[in-house]
Amino acid sequence: MPKPLSSTQIFLGGLWNDNPVLRQILGICSTLAVTNLLVNTLVMNAGLIFTVCMSSLTVSILRKYTPMKIRMMTQTLIIASYVILVDLAISAYLPDISEALGPYVGLIITNCIVMGRCEAYAKNNPPWPAFLDGLAMSLGYAAVLLIIAIIREPLGFGTLLGYRIMPEGFTPWTIMIMAPGAFFTLGLFAWFVRAKFPQTAEEKKQGH
Amino acid sequence: MKKRLYSIVFMFALTFVFAAAVSAVKSYNEERIQTNQQVKLQRIILMVLGVPVHEKAPNQEVVRVYQRRVRSMDVKGRTLYVGYAEDGRSITGYAFAVGGSGFWGPVYGMVSVDPEASRILGLAFYRHSETPGLGARITEPWFVKQFAGLPLFPIEGDKKIFYLKPAGPGKGANELDAITGATGTSRAVEAFLNRDLDRFLRETWNSVKRG
Repeated sequence: MPKPLSSTQIFLGGLWNDNPVLRQILGICSTLAVTNLLVNTLVMNAGLIFTVCMSSLTVSILRKYTPMKIRMMTQTLIIASYVILVDLAISAYLPDISEALGPYVGLIITNCIVMGRCEAYAKNNPPWPAFLDGLAMSLGYAAVLLIIAIIREPLGFGTLLGYRIMPEGFTPWTIMIMAPGAFFTLGLFAWFVRAKFPQTAEEKKQGH
Repeated sequence: MKKRLYSIVFMFALTFVFAAAVSAVKSYNEERIQTNQQVKLQRIILMVLGVPVHEKAPNQEVVRVYQRRVRSMDVKGRTLYVGYAEDGRSITGYAFAVGGSGFWGPVYGMVSVDPEASRILGLAFYRHSETPGLGARITEPWFVKQFAGLPLFPIEGDKKIFYLKPAGPGKGANELDAITGATGTSRAVEAFLNRDLDRFLRETWNSVKRG
């Protein structure tokens, strides 16, 4: 049995060493879809953080009672329930943002990070570390999305959180609003991080 | 065998618990969600009818103004929203829903015409999935404002009520600016809006005139 991870290790893993977007390349679909406006990104992040934390916690609490063979089914059920709760909450209290995010809130269900953490960590660890792991991983995801949104919104719309920050004559880069703009931004960003701070043996070899 | 039974019972119980929780939250919020959608539509109707309501006005305020100024009526299965002046008697215009397929998905909008159905008063699009910054600019004021005052009778020799042409000077009264870089969306809007306006004039409006 490996030694349990400390909270610091868990957080360092989620935010940096095993960052779900940059290192594991998970959750790319929503990263491309919701990062053209910072406000959408913030709401999406809140939704994902809630879903990952609560799903990890629930899966962990039930881990000793869940039969191995039907664990994926129970995980899907748990994740889907939390996502529906998030979707209901957003459409009841933030109708405009609900409209803007469209189907992407519901698609948190298919976000690989959620089930990935349930499978990789929560199903074998006690509730508190599982909750922290969910929090760390979703914060790692959120951080990357925020950075990409902060690059995309000013270049694509000339605004940040809806406030004009680019000079008057600035021509918005339409591509930054569309998915390809996110591909370029994310690709360059992941490349930069991996080249500058190599983690795996392969990355280290290529770096030299 | 026992293990299998346990799996089934476990899954059943878990599903029951989660489904119950989700249903509870849903029924608790149901009314609020419906009100949100209703008020959103009412805001749009008031906007195209030219009744001033502040963008940040609270929901109750919108509902109050709406109840005083708008009455809906059913004409041949289509809903027509009749706008009334401050006095509540004279009619200021009629609003009705328009929509069709855009470039990426369905576009929903609301248009209003003057009491004689001779000109457009206002137009707004409130739900669509067009590209942000390109097709999605159909919701921007510069685009929808061009429709205000558009004559509803086709000009001699024209098949359509209006045309969307590349932005530029020297255009006729029924030629409006299309969106640069969003030809697909512009064409789609031109097609379904002409169709819906034509249908209104031929079907709905005739019934209204006859009383």
